[in-house]
Amino acid sequence: MRGISTLITFLLSCALYAQTDSLLHEVRITAQRRLSETGVQRTTLDTTILHQNVSLSMSDVLTQHSSLFIKSYGRATESTAEFRGTSPSHTQVLWNGLKINSPMLGTVDFSTIPSYFVDEANLLHGASSLTLTGGGLGGAVDLCTQPVRKRGWGVQYIQGIGSYDTYDQFLRLTYGGQCWTSSTRVVYATSNNRFHYTNYDKKIDERDDAGNIIRSYHPRELNRSGYFHDFHALQEFSLRPASIPGALATAAVWFTHSLRGLPFLSVDYRDDSDFRNEQLQDAVRSVISWQQPLGSSASLDARAGYTYQSIAYDYATKSHTPSSSSSTPVDGASSAVSSPSFTTITDSHTYSQQAYLQGKIDYSPAANWLLTANLSLTYNHVRSRDQSPFHIGDNYNEGRLESSLSLSAKYRPTSRLALSAILREELYRRDFVPLIPALFGEYTLLTTATHSGRTAGLYLKASIARNYRYPTMDDLYFKPGGNPDLRPERGFTYDGGLEGHLQLPLGRRDLSLVIRGNLSAFDSYITDWILWTPNAKGYWQPSNLKKVHNYGTELSLTSELHLPHDWHFALTANYAYTPSLNQSEDLDAADASYGKQLVYVPLHSANLSARLRWRTWGLAYQWYSYSERFTTTSNEVGYITGRLKPYYMSDLTFEKQFRWRRFQASIKAAIYNLFDSEYVTVLSRPMAGRHFEIFLEICPL
Amino acid sequence: MLPTRKLLRNFKLLAALALLAACSNSDPGTEEETFNTSDRGVFVLCEGNFNAGNATLSYYNPDTREVQNAVFYRANDRRLGDTGQSICLHGQTAYIAVENSGIIWAIDASTFRVLGQLTTGQTQHMTNPRYIHFLSDHKAYVTDLYAPYVTVFDPQTMTYLASISTKQPEAYGYSSTEQMVQYGREVFTNCWSYSNKLLVLDSEHDVLADSITLSSWQPKSMVIDARGKLWVVTDGGYATDEGSFGDNIPHLYRIDATTHRIELDHTLDSDESSVQLATDPSGTILYLINNDVYRMGIEDAHLPVRPFITAERNERGLRHKLYGIGIDPHNGEIYVADAVDFSQSGVVLRYTAEGILVDQFRVGINPNGFAFK
Repeated sequence: MRGISTLITFLLSCALYAQTDSLLHEVRITAQRRLSETGVQRTTLDTTILHQNVSLSMSDVLTQHSSLFIKSYGRATESTAEFRGTSPSHTQVLWNGLKINSPMLGTVDFSTIPSYFVDEANLLHGASSLTLTGGGLGGAVDLCTQPVRKRGWGVQYIQGIGSYDTYDQFLRLTYGGQCWTSSTRVVYATSNNRFHYTNYDKKIDERDDAGNIIRSYHPRELNRSGYFHDFHALQEFSLRPASIPGALATAAVWFTHSLRGLPFLSVDYRDDSDFRNEQLQDAVRSVISWQQPLGSSASLDARAGYTYQSIAYDYATKSHTPSSSSSTPVDGASSAVSSPSFTTITDSHTYSQQAYLQGKIDYSPAANWLLTANLSLTYNHVRSRDQSPFHIGDNYNEGRLESSLSLSAKYRPTSRLALSAILREELYRRDFVPLIPALFGEYTLLTTATHSGRTAGLYLKASIARNYRYPTMDDLYFKPGGNPDLRPERGFTYDGGLEGHLQLPLGRRDLSLVIRGNLSAFDSYITDWILWTPNAKGYWQPSNLKKVHNYGTELSLTSELHLPHDWHFALTANYAYTPSLNQSEDLDAADASYGKQLVYVPLHSANLSARLRWRTWGLAYQWYSYSERFTTTSNEVGYITGRLKPYYMSDLTFEKQFRWRRFQASIKAAIYNLFDSEYVTVLSRPMAGRHFEIFLEICPL
Repeated sequence: MLPTRKLLRNFKLLAALALLAACSNSDPGTEEETFNTSDRGVFVLCEGNFNAGNATLSYYNPDTREVQNAVFYRANDRRLGDTGQSICLHGQTAYIAVENSGIIWAIDASTFRVLGQLTTGQTQHMTNPRYIHFLSDHKAYVTDLYAPYVTVFDPQTMTYLASISTKQPEAYGYSSTEQMVQYGREVFTNCWSYSNKLLVLDSEHDVLADSITLSSWQPKSMVIDARGKLWVVTDGGYATDEGSFGDNIPHLYRIDATTHRIELDHTLDSDESSVQLATDPSGTILYLINNDVYRMGIEDAHLPVRPFITAERNERGLRHKLYGIGIDPHNGEIYVADAVDFSQSGVVLRYTAEGILVDQFRVGINPNGFAFK
């Protein structure tokens, strides 16, 4: 709460400062805020943050620079993002306008998105997600690439070498011409990821000949089967036809090939050499877009996309195939044993295809009006099957047409007040989701700028919305368990907050301070939350069981300080307080989960990033923290594994740049888990201790 | 220079943050607790959640009505593992099969201290141990969810002896093996996962001797009565697009253990798929748990219509969902488990042999196995 009071103090002082200043100098109102942003709670991550380190995925960046909760098992393992204490499937994710949530699960694995493949990430909290798409009961993440700005040819190569045989390679080739640009990016990351850790979940007893224990200890073990080989390639083109002023055509194709071992649990006593437990993923995502002004008051944005994704999960055990139904004695002398081979236990494959069309028209009949119509059509087809000898046949093989139409009107009745309304209708096959309405408002408390370069702004924002998330294809069709009678999840949310910025020139040309802050409070209710629970036969089945009340506050603060002699200091901080309480009816006479925090959702999360740069030297420090998280729905703290302890994590990066006549280069050293903390983020999933990576970057000039 | 002092301040800030970060969370570990329990007691195995590694063991004293939870962890300063599947007692030792950890623990039934373990690496074929059946002090069988083998081991020394192949000739019909009952020299085991088989093992020669094919899929629970009749309940399996693993209709079979002939075949309602079986200490009364607890004599020609024990309701009228059952062989008391929502501490309800509620207590997540000392 101290953080909140600090921000409020900052925002108020910002207001007072501006008022005081206005008495002394001539005051002029600066340009009005964009009408399209009316009331929107947005966090923007730019390339400064996204392109810090080639080994980072979007999962790492969001952990370190946003108030989202990232549930991760470690590098190159499934990582999902949750806004405001909701579930990962309540986070809608778009890449260049194309929705990339899995049509099967509704989630996105952020560990499969290299942060170097994203030029701008916008996080839209709560109702603000409806400006992009429906179904984001928690929010939406909008990932964008941008056309190359630099003229001529450009080459960038980064080589990373790190602990645990980790190698990260990144290559980018760019060309920027008069009318068109091209960008080719390639990332290849590979690691055996076999880090050591002290396994507190096991204990070794050393015994004497009489069987008495003479010593017991927690063993040092290796993270087993955590290897990964991730390859990504992204090709983009952009064209600005000279014949159509203001028009822009873009095309982007993103290819992914990823082979990842699934790490063993800390309580697994089996030998990893006896098992193959890995996931192979191939994906192609492509988008073409056309943006064009229509006269002086309208614009068109048309997009088409196609995605193909194949995910194979292979779980096999090494076995000795006997020649007959006979016993095999321990001495192995029996001729019944032949050479070992792998026996498949699970061999599941899912193939999904997505075709996508979108058209959006913005029309501004007057300077204070903006009308938008947005229509999208998406066809998803999923074939899910298990090819193991024990389970023959498709889990399901279904296609689904999804349509979404949204109409919005934004209006600024006075220079200080702006209002916005959105109506969205979604259709899944022949099933209409109830109408989704949203209202936004924004009031400018103050905005000032002086001749001396001092500027300040303070804005009050609010929104209210109803939202629905339609069940995923697994929810409806998966056999066994899929439930075709599921209803859409229903969300109702409202929020409000203050946003402010302050720029101080501090009296000298080379000395300035910029501070931006955002404080918001939200209150949300989700009913008919779809929950998968085991049934009597042992498999899982979804039903509309849960009702959840989420509320809390989000706080973000960024500041940049430019000092004389080329010193530059930047600080980013985020904090979220997120009670996320189960309010479902009791499932059972002994159910003690009512009013309890949802499993794995932290009540408090915070992060801080400090970057210091002097000429060609750079130092960056990242700190992030999650409060304790419960692993049972009843939040039993007495249970041995009932909660995960709070943890704090620190990373440190040091960089030196070099510049020659023909080359620019840099060397960067990163220390992860600086203080060698022993921690888990998910039960029985140990994380790596202190480890290192060195990066060498070369850019021909 | 002007910024130097401020920069120093910034570095101090970083240093302070670093110190804060250094106050991190290393697990100091815990000391082992000492237990010395009475002669009589009930072990409750709580399987936990798959892939969470949170299986636990509870111990209940029926005389004092005291329950101790997580006794394996507390006595041994290590976790039981992932998916505790079954527990059984042999003499003064309790054996626990922890399926997804690939281990069988042997613990002292009074102190709960680990006496030994059998891991997959010590055997040739064991991958996911499910149930244990003792043939003698020096020989026991272990069934397996994935390996088409029954592992033979010495429970005294916890050493591997042999493997019995259970491979079935069918194109599909998985030969995972589950519970075991013995009649004479033959050990019967049910193949639950995607199968409709019972296998018969010759325990003298440790070979697969015979199999019994059922008309219904996924035999789930099995007991043998005092007359040597095998009672088997299936969950009926389910159908897929290209291959059928059943029709979702559970059946209850009575099979003669000598001739392997199916004598009775009762079709149950399709929503009665959670049926589990148990017998009283004399083997003349059969208990079926199916939302409520039903009781029938082994000579009865028809299934019981009314429940013997109706699931308890709380003050708001909500029922306990009964899904695990154990019968105390000493006095016929009935213990039933309620997993609640599968993600919080479950509840065990204790009834007299006459069906009167005696006690109820909280245990770990997903209680599903009982062993009586």
